Amino acid sequence: MARKASPARLVIALSVAAVLAVFLLYTSIAGGGNPSISPSELGGRTEKVHLAGLVVGPVRGDAHAGGLRFALKDIDGPATARVPVSYTGSVPDLFKVGRHIVVQGRLVDGVFVAEPGSMITKCPSKYAPAESDVRS
Amino acid sequence: MPELGSAALLVTFGLSLYALGAGWAAAAQGKRRLAQSAQNALVAAFGTTLVASVVLLVALLRNDFSFTYVAKTTSRALPTPYTISAFWGGQEGSLLLWLLVLTGFAAFAVATKRRWERELVAWVTPVLGAICAFFAFLLVAVASPFATQVAPADGAGMTPSLQNPYMLAHPPTLYLGYVGLAIPFAFALAALLSGRTDERWLVATRRWTLFAWAALGVGQLLGAHWAYVEVGWGGYYAWDPVENAALMPWLAATAFLHSVMIQEKRGMLRIWNVLLVILAFSLSLFGTFLTRSGVVNSIHSFTQGAIGPWFLGFIVLVVAVSLALVFWRLPLLRSPTKLESVVSREAAFLYNNLLLLALCLTILWGVVYPLVSEALRGEAVVLGREYYDFFLRVFGLPLLLLMGIGPLVAWRRASLRSLVTTFRWPTLVALASGVILLALGAGSSIPGLVAYTFSAFVATTIVLEFVRGTRARKALGATSWPGAFASLVARNRRRYGGYVVHAAIVLLAIGIAGSSAFDSVAEARLAPGESMTIGAYTLTYRSLEERQTQNATEQRAVLDVQRGGRELGTLEAGKNAYTVEAQVSNEVGIRSDPLTGEDLFVIAEQIDPDGSVQFRVFVKPLVNLIWIAGGVFVLGSVIALWPDAREQRRLAARAYEIGVPAAR
Repeated sequence: MARKASPARLVIALSVAAVLAVFLLYTSIAGGGNPSISPSELGGRTEKVHLAGLVVGPVRGDAHAGGLRFALKDIDGPATARVPVSYTGSVPDLFKVGRHIVVQGRLVDGVFVAEPGSMITKCPSKYAPAESDVRS
Repeated sequence: MPELGSAALLVTFGLSLYALGAGWAAAAQGKRRLAQSAQNALVAAFGTTLVASVVLLVALLRNDFSFTYVAKTTSRALPTPYTISAFWGGQEGSLLLWLLVLTGFAAFAVATKRRWERELVAWVTPVLGAICAFFAFLLVAVASPFATQVAPADGAGMTPSLQNPYMLAHPPTLYLGYVGLAIPFAFALAALLSGRTDERWLVATRRWTLFAWAALGVGQLLGAHWAYVEVGWGGYYAWDPVENAALMPWLAATAFLHSVMIQEKRGMLRIWNVLLVILAFSLSLFGTFLTRSGVVNSIHSFTQGAIGPWFLGFIVLVVAVSLALVFWRLPLLRSPTKLESVVSREAAFLYNNLLLLALCLTILWGVVYPLVSEALRGEAVVLGREYYDFFLRVFGLPLLLLMGIGPLVAWRRASLRSLVTTFRWPTLVALASGVILLALGAGSSIPGLVAYTFSAFVATTIVLEFVRGTRARKALGATSWPGAFASLVARNRRRYGGYVVHAAIVLLAIGIAGSSAFDSVAEARLAPGESMTIGAYTLTYRSLEERQTQNATEQRAVLDVQRGGRELGTLEAGKNAYTVEAQVSNEVGIRSDPLTGEDLFVIAEQIDPDGSVQFRVFVKPLVNLIWIAGGVFVLGSVIALWPDAREQRRLAARAYEIGVPAAR
């Protein structure tokens, strides 16, 4: 079955190649994203990561002067590891003890130093209150 | 009352199953009366879903906290409009809204199309029945909005960030879009099932696609504006998975809207079109799944309910069945015509499609990447803003340029000379504006400068098209210039509506480029009486005010705004503390400049007991063009959607000459 090659195929093939090339270019320059890990997985790792956990008090300090200090622990699971966090910049409205948050940064001398303004709160649900709130 | 709701949903489920089973049997054996009965079942399913919805609405309005759903989404203090919006504020209610819109659309589509497209509609009925049955099943068995409990004294209330007028408009509009895509999808599957794979299904659903696409677009802009004025971090789009969830089907539907034209005119891209509509609908299901499953970390992170696995299973089923059907009908989908030249309108549309799809798929890849990397490397890797911004530039900027080129290139094969004549002026204008902007200092952001230059190019092509068309009309005997213009648009609504939408995209591009590439930010802690400056603005913090409303305590820092020594009045920024929900929300202060479209955006990040306030201030040039673009987008969509009997006849007539390329 001799089908005449259509330019459409050529165009599609070239485009796919171009997309792949751009993709490789991107991953070689930007090196992809950062790992998202929980406090118990942090250990002594010092590269840049997203740290996701549950806020543990006491919350001290000032996010706009000297840094807000608190600790993060695993959202669930048996691990009890707590990572002290120092944070500066905008604090989302939903931040408080017991909330799930994500901060981006790296471990420096045993303290996780978050990048300014990197905090994201993960309210267990945006559209409905947390299950625990309803049941209790 | 809850029993009535549950019963109504159960009946909906039964009717949907009947539409599926009986519809299938009728279509397979060509039984007209049975087909009619299956179609009536779909209409009846809309009726019963409506009953269930009214039950829920009444329960919400009566604060009937014996409904678990009512108790967890509302409270007595919640103002009535937000009590109504609680209908789609939780998982069960929003699924019910999905089903309500779906059955409504299904009933309407079947009822309006069955006279003209009987063979297609016979197969559309079981497909829509299957989709309705899935959602009805979820509502009956997995996530019932009619679960009851011992009524507590008061409900848990609504999250403060949702207590906003946008909550009334944004989710339902998005749902109209998500669900609207089900109709073209059902017609595409019906075309495959019936073997009528010509252009008929496209013509029958052109308006549906356009409507769903427009609703998705408007819904997203409403969401962006909501995020901008209410969520208060200074932006309007954060590439959050849930935001991407709506963007992906919109991009796929945009590609589909364009490639459809090629199939209508030239009979090409049949397989492609079917695949695109399958992709668009699957992405709309995937979007609902993302927002409702909590599988991907998101700032939105909705309830993690039990519906996740069901949804995933259904998506897999939809994709598998659709692809199997495409494979089965592959011989029928061979296109009778071929691309003749890589410089032609169909080629330009093809490039547009590939770019849109590439953008859509890279976003999809970014959304699922945490899951993929977790599965492969045991560690979830999150792709940040840079990833999306990079691909938006790489694929979005060429797309912008193509928007100016595509509509003006001749079908089939364009000569070099015609290209030069057509694009001489737009190119000159684009280069000139590039040089002027460079001189004005826009070179600080190369992507921004490129976006402006391309925007100038596209805007010029659009203006030239309108001028050319109006002149031609005048020459043909229109009495006045406005008359010529009106008749030009009225006689070819689809084309000129399309140009208006393109103009909206140009405004959007300029707004996005201006506000993201050329914005500035400043931070300061001010005590009353102190000032700060940003750009040409000087802000003086006057005083802190506190007031009590029905459901919140509001604190507001009052600032005097000056620019270049001129008083521009006061601006308020602060926080609301919501009593029932025990939550605080930022209330930003925004001053829009009506002349330049620039915003001064003030966030009171932290209010200290001594009355000093930590301010974060943005100046966002041209950001208001984004919202104006929304209005223009709606205008263009309405023009293109407006019923046009003549064009409809023309399209229908053409659709019957199966595969005959239009001589244009």
